Amino acid sequence: MSGLVGQDVARVDGRAKVTGAARYAADQEVPGALHGFLVMSTIARGEVLEIDARAALAHPGVVAVYTHRDMPRLRVPDFPYNRPFIPMQDARVHHSGQPVAYVVAQTLEQAQEAANLVRVRYRAEDPVARMADVLDQAFLPEKFRDRNNEDGRGDAAAALEQAEVRIDRTYASPMQHHNPIEPHTTTAVWEEDGTLTLYESAQGVVFTRGMVTQAFAGTDRPPANVRVVSPYLGGGFGAKGPTYPHTLLTAAAARLAGRPVKLVLSRAQMYTSNGHRAEYRHHLRLGATRQGRLTAIDATSTAQVTRLDGRIYNSSDSTLHLYSCPNVHVRQLGVRLDLPTSSYMRSPETTSHFGLETALDELSHELGIDPVELRIRNHTEVVQATEANGRTERPYGGKHLLECYRAAAEAFGWARRDPRPGRTRDGDEYVGWGMATETHTYGHIPSEARLTIGLDGRATLRTATQEIGTGTYTVLGQVAADELGLPIGHVTTLLGDTAYPAASISAGSSTVPSVVGPVSEAAKNARAAVIALAVADPRSPLHGVPAGEVVAEGGRLFARGDRDRTDTYRDVVARHGSPVEVTGRRPNTAGHTFGAVFLEVRIQPRLGRLRVTRVVTAHDLGRVLNRRTARGQVIGGVTWGIGFALMEHTMVDPGTARVVNPNLSTYLVPVCADTPSVEALFVDRPISDSQALGARGFGETPGTGVPAAIGNAIFHATGRRLREVPFTQDKLL
Amino acid sequence: MRSFGYTIADSPAEAVRIAASTPGSAFVAGGTELLNLMRDGAQAHDHLIDVNHLDLGGIAAGPGRLRLGASARMRQVAEHATVRREFPVLSEALLASASPQIRNMASIGGNLLQRTRCGYFRDAGSPCDKRTPGSGCPAIAGHNRGHAILGGGDRCIATHPSDLAVALTALDATVHLLGPEGARAVPIAEFYLLPGATPERETAMRPGELITWVDVPRTTLAGRSRYLKLRDRATFEFAVVSVAAALRMRGRVVRDVRLAFGGVGTRPWRDAGVEAALRGRPLTRQAIAEAGRLLVRDAAPREGNRFKVELVQRALASILDDLGGLR
Repeated sequence: MSGLVGQDVARVDGRAKVTGAARYAADQEVPGALHGFLVMSTIARGEVLEIDARAALAHPGVVAVYTHRDMPRLRVPDFPYNRPFIPMQDARVHHSGQPVAYVVAQTLEQAQEAANLVRVRYRAEDPVARMADVLDQAFLPEKFRDRNNEDGRGDAAAALEQAEVRIDRTYASPMQHHNPIEPHTTTAVWEEDGTLTLYESAQGVVFTRGMVTQAFAGTDRPPANVRVVSPYLGGGFGAKGPTYPHTLLTAAAARLAGRPVKLVLSRAQMYTSNGHRAEYRHHLRLGATRQGRLTAIDATSTAQVTRLDGRIYNSSDSTLHLYSCPNVHVRQLGVRLDLPTSSYMRSPETTSHFGLETALDELSHELGIDPVELRIRNHTEVVQATEANGRTERPYGGKHLLECYRAAAEAFGWARRDPRPGRTRDGDEYVGWGMATETHTYGHIPSEARLTIGLDGRATLRTATQEIGTGTYTVLGQVAADELGLPIGHVTTLLGDTAYPAASISAGSSTVPSVVGPVSEAAKNARAAVIALAVADPRSPLHGVPAGEVVAEGGRLFARGDRDRTDTYRDVVARHGSPVEVTGRRPNTAGHTFGAVFLEVRIQPRLGRLRVTRVVTAHDLGRVLNRRTARGQVIGGVTWGIGFALMEHTMVDPGTARVVNPNLSTYLVPVCADTPSVEALFVDRPISDSQALGARGFGETPGTGVPAAIGNAIFHATGRRLREVPFTQDKLL
Repeated sequence: MRSFGYTIADSPAEAVRIAASTPGSAFVAGGTELLNLMRDGAQAHDHLIDVNHLDLGGIAAGPGRLRLGASARMRQVAEHATVRREFPVLSEALLASASPQIRNMASIGGNLLQRTRCGYFRDAGSPCDKRTPGSGCPAIAGHNRGHAILGGGDRCIATHPSDLAVALTALDATVHLLGPEGARAVPIAEFYLLPGATPERETAMRPGELITWVDVPRTTLAGRSRYLKLRDRATFEFAVVSVAAALRMRGRVVRDVRLAFGGVGTRPWRDAGVEAALRGRPLTRQAIAEAGRLLVRDAAPREGNRFKVELVQRALASILDDLGGLR
């Protein structure tokens, strides 16, 4: 191998992105496309009585205004469609900001203005919008995606009763939104051959294809084939993972209009159209020995769900698996609100992890044991889980979390910490140091890659996974180039099109674990195929050399023992006369990724001003495939964690159930000045149970510990324990 | 967003003439605020009159006063040498506002006429007495963290978002207007209105009037001024609480003081009683605390903004400590 894997490799698509040459979904110019715009319900519960579209239809350029009376009847399975209903199939309104009409016009401006002119009359019922008002109605929802909402091992209640030390606290986080910069977009084209092509902002083109195919299967004119194209994504964070109504409605509108239709959601519409992080309360009880060994964890979470479904998207994986504890009981309750369905949002497990890592800090203070030491005492090398076939304990394929604690603590200077809260001052500021473990699960989706060596000796890799901003083009190009012995500039990677072999959704930190193996396999097969051609070809200098004795480097093939016997990819394939095309698959397994975050906050006590001034992380992600993109994930994750801890908060009016801050002016996310530089360390060691060149899924792990670490640092700085994010200024006065 | 007509005016007089004869029109300069309001459906105009080409962009330091042209850009004023030297509170307030991109575009006149950031006001689907008189005010019982504790009523508790207006209020600026009935000058203390029963009326401006410039008295006091802005993230965000202060001491005694507050009132908030409580007295922690208590004596906090009662007093103490050299 030429050794690109593991290096700091610049993004192969970086120039295209910063120059605007990269074509995102809405950049696709489709001749004759009309523009769609949604009319959203202004009530949160009730039904549409009448839709008066006369003024809208009279507006210049307007082609049609579709309502639930016009839409084809669509049917979808439970997942990965994320709503318990499809809008515009009937008159019922389930939340404010639900599509009730679909305007199609010649230009976007015409469609927008016509949407303003559509008059909708409703019969409204009073919505329930605030979780605090109905907490007494919390219930245990049925399992979601084969996972029970009650889980555990041992007898947590009894162990708590007998525990030498107990922590009993409630933590809370509000509703939050993903806010990718690229708005959701769909351009639907019903081609003459019956294919429905969707230029789509999708984290999973294959998932979306499956969903759209099923949705239209029962209609009178189902598409012969569905193709979904998403070459670049301007951020998804889960908001573009499942398929959402606007995609289905746009495909339907294009069919009704008999013309391609392009829809781009407005920023405000994105606050009710694509899921959000559920509002969440987490009651945690820990039992421990005086020596700091956990004996019991009892966790009851309550998350918002809707009247029609009970899907819990924020699982309690770390509560169940991260620490060695014989008695664990987890219950995930739901409370029904008249709001849109929540969804996965980077990183879903942060929501429960915030409570766990804060509670551990409270325990460490209670016991007088250093927070790092407490975690080391409860470290486990095996996965403790209750699975379908009963309780299991299986080893991780290497879990270097202890090394993460050590490396990050040392780089941070943790040993110099005075453990007493409120004792560290610098000028008029209180200084606090806090830490937390970071962890997240990652998924695996069976995937395939196709690799073609052209007559020019260059490689083209095709696989229907996606580039969601994380560096997929680059990392897969590195893997293929290394395996082939080609410079990375000779590998063209093509992604985000269901015309390519099916591959993983880019969600759940699944892209690397799912796709790297197949790409590596395809490249290996391609190299073997070209070598086989060379050694069998009397015109090749390598003719007759045993295939196993041929190595590939820098685009050339050499006989291992005699480097003067050499040929090139280009010459071999050119003599062969047709491109070499192979595919690769390599199944993998899902797993967990670990790390630690240490950070410093400074608080000006008079005004309650808080700054995060220093962050050090260390992660065990197995083998690091690209140091630059891995570091990018850490910077992004830490920034998300700062937003979660200090400012992010979707406000819903308790009376109308409407989002009050549906824009980036009033929904705050961190700006550069809120975010210090991050020292990102990696334990760079391949793990044995990974089929992705020893790498784990990583995207969602960094940041998972940041909210708790900030709260823990605030406690260390001031002696004040905050249990509800966002930690705004008023809470620090 | 509705289609609208568009005219470029050549002179202030022409701009005002067009406005008077065009119902539903509005002036537009940088467009960083008006166009967003129109896109959001919070405001609708059939016609926009572009005032970028009027000769109102100047910044002139004359005898006794600083004159800021209404179409001077925020950045130009913030970086102007005389402003920085003699009116630091203006420069600081402007630099603490918005983003560099917006400051490059946004005009002084437009800055003063910003509308509130209240989410209910900006969401055309929500009730709002300011946007749609008679529809009610959901902020009073709803989300009101960003709202006023002073000067509100049962129709509206929205704050005015301009930092510059707070600084100009502290400095006793005068807003010059040109309208169909001629030119007039309005002291800034009378420029912004309390919501009362007509929250839709935010300023003393009459229909068709155009801000032409703003005059700021050139005083020794203004040279000893500062702006303190507290907010929920480090930059690019409106104030939770802000204070514009100018302080002149004679020894340990306050010779003169000007104070204005943002984020707490339904208009840029000035309280003569608070200043009087400090003037002529030694600047002590106790005097500052008394002034702070006076400031909030009539505060009407709600669930989400109760903390502002305490925070604004601390902000006052902090800025006076700094200006008065107490630390």
